Amino acid sequence: MNFTLIFNDKKEIKSLNKDTSIKNVLDEMELSSEIIIAKKNGDIVIEDEKIENGDEIHLIQIIYGG
Amino acid sequence: METCTKCGNPKIIIKRKQSGQTLCKDCFVESIQKKIIKTIKKEKLLEKGDNVLVALSGGKDSVTLLDILDTFRERNIIDICAVTVDEGIDGYRQDGVDIAINHVKRLDIDHQVVSFKDSFDITLDEIMDNPEHRGSCTYCGVFRRWIINRAARDFGATKIATGHNLDDETQAILMNYLEGNVDNLTKMGPKTESKSLLFAPKIKPLREIPEKEVGLYVLAKNLEVHLTGCLYSEESFRGEIGEIIKNLSKNHPTIMYSTLSGFDKIKTALKNEHKNNFQFEKCSICGEPSSNEICRTCTFLNELDKKVVL
Ligand code: SF4
Ligand SMILES: [Zn+2]
Ligand SMILES: [Zn+2]
Repeated sequence: MNFTLIFNDKKEIKSLNKDTSIKNVLDEMELSSEIIIAKKNGDIVIEDEKIENGDEIHLIQIIYGG
Repeated sequence: METCTKCGNPKIIIKRKQSGQTLCKDCFVESIQKKIIKTIKKEKLLEKGDNVLVALSGGKDSVTLLDILDTFRERNIIDICAVTVDEGIDGYRQDGVDIAINHVKRLDIDHQVVSFKDSFDITLDEIMDNPEHRGSCTYCGVFRRWIINRAARDFGATKIATGHNLDDETQAILMNYLEGNVDNLTKMGPKTESKSLLFAPKIKPLREIPEKEVGLYVLAKNLEVHLTGCLYSEESFRGEIGEIIKNLSKNHPTIMYSTLSGFDKIKTALKNEHKNNFQFEKCSICGEPSSNEICRTCTFLNELDKKVVL
């Protein structure tokens, strides 16, 4: 099982464990959910959303310092 | 499974920790628009016939601001014009300027792009080459305000609207409070009237919207925005305060709202108690209003061996 992760113009295929949520991915990448909005297969989703086999997850940073 | 609190749609895009509300895309967009319009009415930010100058950087805050104010223009309540400041930051600012231009073309709005170079004969990049500089954001803030005030007069604007959001406002309140800067605190608020007739009042229609929800709004509405950080963005006291508030908000999701509403309650008392009577005079160099003989812009330019290009 795997999913596609897009962040900062980089696209990578990641392996997927059962019951992984967007929040788990953010935690693993040490990104704060306060500054990121996630899209799953093109639709905006909340961080509790579960990721399924073959999903495309796009993380968009909307808050920058300064 | 969670569904939209308002309409039952299962496709939710936000779970508001502060209220427990979950919203779908359409209901979220509507809630933001309603809330901003409520702020505008409650604080009397707009009057019929206003010509509102939008400070449009192309970032999420100013694009959201323009999007909402345009609904007032569509109903013939106000006119809108826009100014975009080009600080001269290579590899960063041009994208924002292009996006700003796309929006004003789409909406058919009068627009000026004014650069530091045209106004002061120096770009921010050139200022930062000087080892004696005072910090990028200090110049940016002071120079930008100078340009926006002047543009407001050029356009005959009756109001200047800026995209300050709830995060910006709570950061400023705490920062000024912790620094004991009561003078600055008294100047804050949804609408700042200057004593000088040369300055148009400034309004902040987004002050009750958390920054993250502004970001969500532009994504939900598919508005084109410039989403990148400035390379000069520096470690600052404001940044540290921002971190603290974000961390506190995790377990206390209403903290920004209560900081703002608490401040609003003491604001009038603060203003009455702490009257500052300084008179506005004109800067002897550039002619802009200034409480000193020479304004901050001209003071900084002097240090850089430059002058306002008149
Ligand atoms: S981060 Fe600082 S230097 Fe960069 S655009 Fe903002 S105010 Fe200017
Ligand atoms: Zn709904
Ligand atoms: Zn001056």
